[in-house]
Amino acid sequence: MTNDTDRTRRFNQLAEAYSTDLYRYALWLCGNDALAKDLVQETFLRAWRALDNLRDIGAAKSWLITILRREYARTFERKLPKFTDVDKVVVADDVELEPDQHTERELLRKGIMKLDPKYRDPLLLQVIFGHSCAEISEQLGSSKSAVMTQLFRAREKLKAQIQKDGVTGNVHELF
Amino acid sequence: MSMSFSDFQRLIGADPWNRDPETVRARNSAPEFAQAASKAEAFERKLQSALQLRLPADLLTDIKNISHQPAQQRNWMPLALAASLLLAVGALSMVWKQSLQWNSIEAYLADHYSHDGTALLESTAEAVSEQDIIRIMVSLNASAGQQLAGLIKFIKFCPTPQGRGAHMVVSTDHGPVTIIFMPKTQVTDGERVEFDQMHAYLVALEHGSAAIIGQTSQAVESLQAVVRSSLKTGLVSA
Repeated sequence: MTNDTDRTRRFNQLAEAYSTDLYRYALWLCGNDALAKDLVQETFLRAWRALDNLRDIGAAKSWLITILRREYARTFERKLPKFTDVDKVVVADDVELEPDQHTERELLRKGIMKLDPKYRDPLLLQVIFGHSCAEISEQLGSSKSAVMTQLFRAREKLKAQIQKDGVTGNVHELF
Repeated sequence: MSMSFSDFQRLIGADPWNRDPETVRARNSAPEFAQAASKAEAFERKLQSALQLRLPADLLTDIKNISHQPAQQRNWMPLALAASLLLAVGALSMVWKQSLQWNSIEAYLADHYSHDGTALLESTAEAVSEQDIIRIMVSLNASAGQQLAGLIKFIKFCPTPQGRGAHMVVSTDHGPVTIIFMPKTQVTDGERVEFDQMHAYLVALEHGSAAIIGQTSQAVESLQAVVRSSLKTGLVSA
């Protein structure tokens, strides 16, 4: 009984610590709110079943990301999902923004959606989870130098895309 | 040897918060380095803000409720074989499926079932708790009566053509059968749909619909009366 309680407590700790970031990652990965929720639920379902295999709680984040990425690959290896309209996908947040800032953020979000997955994926791992380049290279099975190149190009492409889409002088100056 | 400006730009372009001693030295070596670093950090703050999303209100609760399920250790080999078989069947069937946006109920059912339908049938050795059934059904503004609830061996949320629904596996005398509850999807009552050597019987409910899915050898329509009488929808008016 104690083991069950301890297991549930560990699981709930993981859920509280990582569900938000995993949901954000899943949503920016697949671009579809319903599918992102399904991916995260499936990830935690698999995590719950395999929780006893997680010996080092410090490795939990990478472990969960790996489960989610495998589930995503399994789900979409035949065909990547179509991104729905970014305005429909992105959940509104509470932050009050000035009109210019709001425009910038929307351009950034659209730019992220347009990024090729090979650039978007390492960028999401870095920005959402705070992964180092070495951790990303381990997660993606690439060399560290390849990851650094992808990250650099991801930001360059993002800036270029935003400048292309941007309409105000402020946006051009900021990026 | 000091870092060139272009190398520095590439470095902070890949890793804007890099604080290695060499990077910090380069940053402090000239105003243009410091300016480039500040600009990269400003962009990064905007990027972090753009990626911020709020967790859907019910998702954490749903995740925590997973721990109410029995923790089964999976034997991965049969699942891997089943997954390989599913992929082979799926690869053939997906040739003519046009989109994940599901332009027909048939396309949705085929796509959704090929995702994990067979695996879920095989992984439901123990019944779910009544609380799980109630929780999921209530969040879909529905309820499952005793007759149906007593048959449910597995239940989870799942995507449907219009928002979330429930994926259930129920026990019958002819083996496990899948029921997909689609709270906001309209179907033609009594229509039959065939896909991937499976067939489905569609039931129009007061609000939404259900698809009873089984192998072609299973008389899925025999469950329609239970579904109609036990699956109550629209508990609370919108």
